[in-house]
Amino acid sequence: MNIKLSHNSILLLMLLLAIVVVVFSLSQGSVALTVSEVALALQSEGTYLAQTLIWELRVPRVMAAFATGALLSLAGALMQILLRNPLADPYVLGISGGASVMVLGAILLGLSGVLLSGAAFIGAVISTLLVFGLSQRTGQTTPIRLLLTGVVIAAGWGACITLMLAVAPPQKIPGMLFWLMGDLSYAHTPWLAWVTLLAAMGVIMPFAKSLNVLSRGPLQAAALGVNVTLVERLVFVLASLMTAVAVTTAGSVGFVGLVVPHMMRLILGNDQRVILPAAALAGGCLVTFADTIARTVIAPEQLPVGVMTALLGVPTFLFLLRKGRM
Amino acid sequence: MFKATSAFIFTVLFFYVSSVWGSCVIDDREREVCSNAPVTRIAALSPGATELAFAAGAGSKVVTVVSFSDYPPAAQEIESVGSPSRLDLERLLALKPDLILAWGTGNPSEQISTLLRLGMRVFYVEPHSFSSIAQDIRDIAQLAGTEASGDVAASAFLKGISDLKTQYSQKPKIRTFYQVWDEPLMTMNGQHYINQVVELCGGINVFSKSPRLIPRLNKEAVLIENPEVIVAGGMGERNAHWLEGWRAFPELMATKQDNLFFVPPSLLQRPTPRLLEGAKILCEKLDLARSRRG
Repeated sequence: MNIKLSHNSILLLMLLLAIVVVVFSLSQGSVALTVSEVALALQSEGTYLAQTLIWELRVPRVMAAFATGALLSLAGALMQILLRNPLADPYVLGISGGASVMVLGAILLGLSGVLLSGAAFIGAVISTLLVFGLSQRTGQTTPIRLLLTGVVIAAGWGACITLMLAVAPPQKIPGMLFWLMGDLSYAHTPWLAWVTLLAAMGVIMPFAKSLNVLSRGPLQAAALGVNVTLVERLVFVLASLMTAVAVTTAGSVGFVGLVVPHMMRLILGNDQRVILPAAALAGGCLVTFADTIARTVIAPEQLPVGVMTALLGVPTFLFLLRKGRM
Repeated sequence: MFKATSAFIFTVLFFYVSSVWGSCVIDDREREVCSNAPVTRIAALSPGATELAFAAGAGSKVVTVVSFSDYPPAAQEIESVGSPSRLDLERLLALKPDLILAWGTGNPSEQISTLLRLGMRVFYVEPHSFSSIAQDIRDIAQLAGTEASGDVAASAFLKGISDLKTQYSQKPKIRTFYQVWDEPLMTMNGQHYINQVVELCGGINVFSKSPRLIPRLNKEAVLIENPEVIVAGGMGERNAHWLEGWRAFPELMATKQDNLFFVPPSLLQRPTPRLLEGAKILCEKLDLARSRRG
């Protein structure tokens, strides 16, 4: 009872932090708006310019940033449990590579807008199916097989990306590079990301206890009555789907999925019932805050968000690691 | 009877209003761009668009530019909205432009479509020939209500080009390699407007048949073509070491006859009226190379 209460209060605190970060992010930009102006604009009052800035630019971008961070962070936490490898991140199985190859192909064909997002999603799904299909032998998938298949397929995608960049017409290269770096200035439809995030949370949370057991090893989990195959497949499908949607929304934003779950474990211990929602909130906060810095720190020049997530996350993580119990 | 009268009045009224002001032009993506009053606040989202707007006599109406907009010098004083490939949309909207000169292959298409969705007037500037440079100047001038100065600039540019054509294009052909970049080695094919400049000066681009607009080459390809002239562009205003590299091949015709030339890239690699200046320099260099023939 005592532990549960403290878990809830931790999550409540993090939710408050998330709200603070989102409000901060909405109030920051190259055009200075006060909090009251932001509040007025959110109620569709105030000047036309403020309303346009808030509703057309900042709200979609902040929403996309938060959802992307939460999706990647949650997917990373799940991958680390599934593969029983602390180095696993959402991209380790080649999902972002598959998405990138399809998007770069679409850019080369001259497609844009929604078609690019569609291509990214199809690429991510193809890569997922490829990894899952190839790693199976006689109906069994061991984590090490899955990991190796994923890493090799990721390397294959990497080679395709290099090839496409080499033969691309120079005027298309900037767009391609930004996509590879991960950039929220292109994000305009956060809804898919939010729906996926909430649905995934709803599906995975009832299994959090099973995941606790699973992270100690499949034999122990099976002995304790967990349907290991079912849970592993569920985790794989969910993590892949979340990564696909995150990549579709903002390109390959690196680092978040690897480090945020570890940060949460260093602070909160390894209980998935609290780690999973905490990682989602913390990932959302990190990417939202990083993107706010990225679009304001040397404005009018805009930085890709991936640069800032790493610059903010690396020192924080190293600090926690030195202080922590890992 | 009443119907006919009112239709007549409407027609007269319509023609009266549209003759007061109101104009439509076609941009470089074949889109119609209209305005019913001269635009007063122009956002130029590429260095080339800035130059064209100034050439059109609308320089004083340019309220924002992007990084690297260094010409004319007055453009350097104008507030920037960041790199052309990653625009600060907030700042752009806050400046309330009523005409956006977009760069289709340089600006992110998502950002331009956001601007279109917000109802902004967008004119794509991507000239690919001498005549489309002149046409862009005229179109921008028409939207800005500065037709007179735009017409002067466009005509002067076309006249200069046609003079060069008369003077040089019938001279003995000279096989030329234009080096866009050093590492990787790059040039342009026959589709590119720089190819038109080379031909204007009586040169033959040795890679005009290459399938890609900007082919990437190795040195062997250049040695096989054995051009009589090598012209270097590049990013900065001096790239002497690019040309020095070719001295390692004394059998190369261009090296043998000392036909290794530099033309400031800002004069050739931006499709703006300054291309005339670059073309003049290139034509003189090619003529110098002809005089060195034994």
